[in-house]
Amino acid sequence: MDSKAVCSPADACSFFAKEGRRDFLLKRQLTKPRSPKLSSPRRAVSFALCLGLLLSACSTRQNSTVNDASFHQITDEAGRNIKVPATVTRFISLAPSITEIVFAIGAGEGLVGRTTFCNYPPEAAKVEAVGDTLKPSIERIIALRPQVVFVSTASQLEAFTTELDAHNIAVYVTDSHDLDGVFRSIERISDLLGRRPQADELLKQLRGRVAAVEDKVKPQPPVRVFYQVSDEPLYTIGRDAFITDLLKRVGGISVTADVPGAWPKYSAESALAARPDAIILPTGGSMGDANSNVAAPLKRSPAVANHRVYKVNEDHLSRPGPRSVDGLEELARALHPEVFSK
Amino acid sequence: MTRAKTTETTANVGRVLRLDSSRVTFAKTLVVCGVLLLTLLLIVALMSLFGSEKLPARAALCALISFGKASCGLTADQDAILFDIRLPRILLGAAVGGSLAVAGASYQSLLRNPLAEPYLLGISNGAAVGTMIALVFMGAQEWSRPLLAFSGALAATFVVYRLAQGRTGATPERLILAGVIVTTFLSSAIVFVTTLMDATRIRSFTFWLLGDLSGSTNKLLWLALFIAVAGTFVLAAHARSLNLLMLGERDAFDLGVEVSRVRLVVFIVASLLVGSSVASSGSVGYVGLVVPHLVRLSLGSDNRITVPAAAICGAIFVVVADTIARTVIAPRELPVGAITALIGAPLFVYLLRRR
Repeated sequence: MDSKAVCSPADACSFFAKEGRRDFLLKRQLTKPRSPKLSSPRRAVSFALCLGLLLSACSTRQNSTVNDASFHQITDEAGRNIKVPATVTRFISLAPSITEIVFAIGAGEGLVGRTTFCNYPPEAAKVEAVGDTLKPSIERIIALRPQVVFVSTASQLEAFTTELDAHNIAVYVTDSHDLDGVFRSIERISDLLGRRPQADELLKQLRGRVAAVEDKVKPQPPVRVFYQVSDEPLYTIGRDAFITDLLKRVGGISVTADVPGAWPKYSAESALAARPDAIILPTGGSMGDANSNVAAPLKRSPAVANHRVYKVNEDHLSRPGPRSVDGLEELARALHPEVFSK
Repeated sequence: MTRAKTTETTANVGRVLRLDSSRVTFAKTLVVCGVLLLTLLLIVALMSLFGSEKLPARAALCALISFGKASCGLTADQDAILFDIRLPRILLGAAVGGSLAVAGASYQSLLRNPLAEPYLLGISNGAAVGTMIALVFMGAQEWSRPLLAFSGALAATFVVYRLAQGRTGATPERLILAGVIVTTFLSSAIVFVTTLMDATRIRSFTFWLLGDLSGSTNKLLWLALFIAVAGTFVLAAHARSLNLLMLGERDAFDLGVEVSRVRLVVFIVASLLVGSSVASSGSVGYVGLVVPHLVRLSLGSDNRITVPAAAICGAIFVVVADTIARTVIAPRELPVGAITALIGAPLFVYLLRRR
């Protein structure tokens, strides 16, 4: 703990008290000759009042100021070392996926800020919005006095964390590239928020559902899938996308699984040459009816010829959280209808 | 005084048109343009052999020469890649490059400013704002994109021109300052609109703002090609007036040029060129600046040659740049605007220093 941060409340109070007393004495000296009788008790009362206020201010501060014993150092998912309080009661989520995780482990009442994209669960709407994921209002975040801010992207992290560090607000970055990563993320967030039992219960249930799907699709031959993130311009999922892992688990092979990056802009000719057997169109949810048509170069694919184009809820698939398992089940039903129809 | 001015003017004409070193004749223009057109054809054929998917070169060439009538051993998919995806994109690149370069060349002569260029003057941004309004509010109607892009480009042109007019006329500095003001204002407008838009559409817009030839439709392609060719002919027909305008509007008027009519024609035609290219592929920067200067450095500054040659060279430039953009990190893609700037700037510096 560096000396600057350790401003022990006792010191602060005595300093303010001294300052107050000196000020008081000074004023008393000046005013004494005029009305010695009246002012003295009144001032004594006001002084006591001030002192009381200061003390109470100090004592409330004590909860949130840095105190070596109540803080511990952890490493977040991006490998950064951060200091977090032992009990986190106020925090902000800057990603819809994290908001969903927080509510799923029953820690929603500690959430004091969310993004405008966080539309699930419905209770999240009652929490104050602090802007969107890429452009949160740093002033509003600081005004909400969170102990931890959860972030899912590394964008603008540098300036962001320095600013929040200055206010003793820890920034925890989640970074999951596959479903196991999501489960790890749920565990770690629950540890941080003291909700491990609830998280274990949730994870047991989620893992059970995943295992059920995997068992069903395992005997089936894999289906070659194209996942169309947007039609114009043509974007898809690459190696680092979390959906590539989901597809693999449900007996699909993303035809763009080897493309570097998570959301590459994809060549139209390569899309045509890929000849996928099925096409997934993530749409609906926050997307509205955007991306509900197959991109032009894919119109010649076997997927279109055999009517194997499936729309799935974009919110389930783009947010690495508990509802990813819903997305997994939707994908499995789309790719292997034969084993799910019964 | 008058005599001094006349001598100076004559000297200027001599310097600007380089009449002493080479006489520009119709025959010479034809030869230069013919050679350049052949080069463009060769480049188009050559560049359609490259792409993220490999095609058998001989079969692809055979199919190209027969205009797709003979299959030449290409599979149906390969045929579709060549004729439905690659060739339209290359033709769009040619149309966009030609439009921007010829617009830049005529602005530079008309406004007597070497920095006059659709991108720097804010005209591309005007067209971009128009296209964005069309995409956001009239997404269903395809015709609204080029129409509003043209209106935006024309509006930006007139605003810049008005702002540049001082009591002493439009100085080059005033013009560029006006362009910077309009550009930054419109950029902020674009940022404002993207902020209001939902997150899913922002990604496609940011890519498109850097210039992207992948997301066009056939209708927009034919429109862009038609406007590029027609616009080049109209501007080339005004090349003689543009030559005289390089001496200044006053002198050009004295020499018999209908200055206000020529100015109006250039503004409208250039706005059409910029509007159609921005509507189909976003703002591809640098073409309108670099290509006309490269042409002047190598062919002289007589607009009778510069205007048509700039159009063809602009087409070659963008076709080559886009081939790099779509192959260098295949199967991913880069925005073509990044490549035009990366090749354009060093090439420009090299030619400038060599002279």
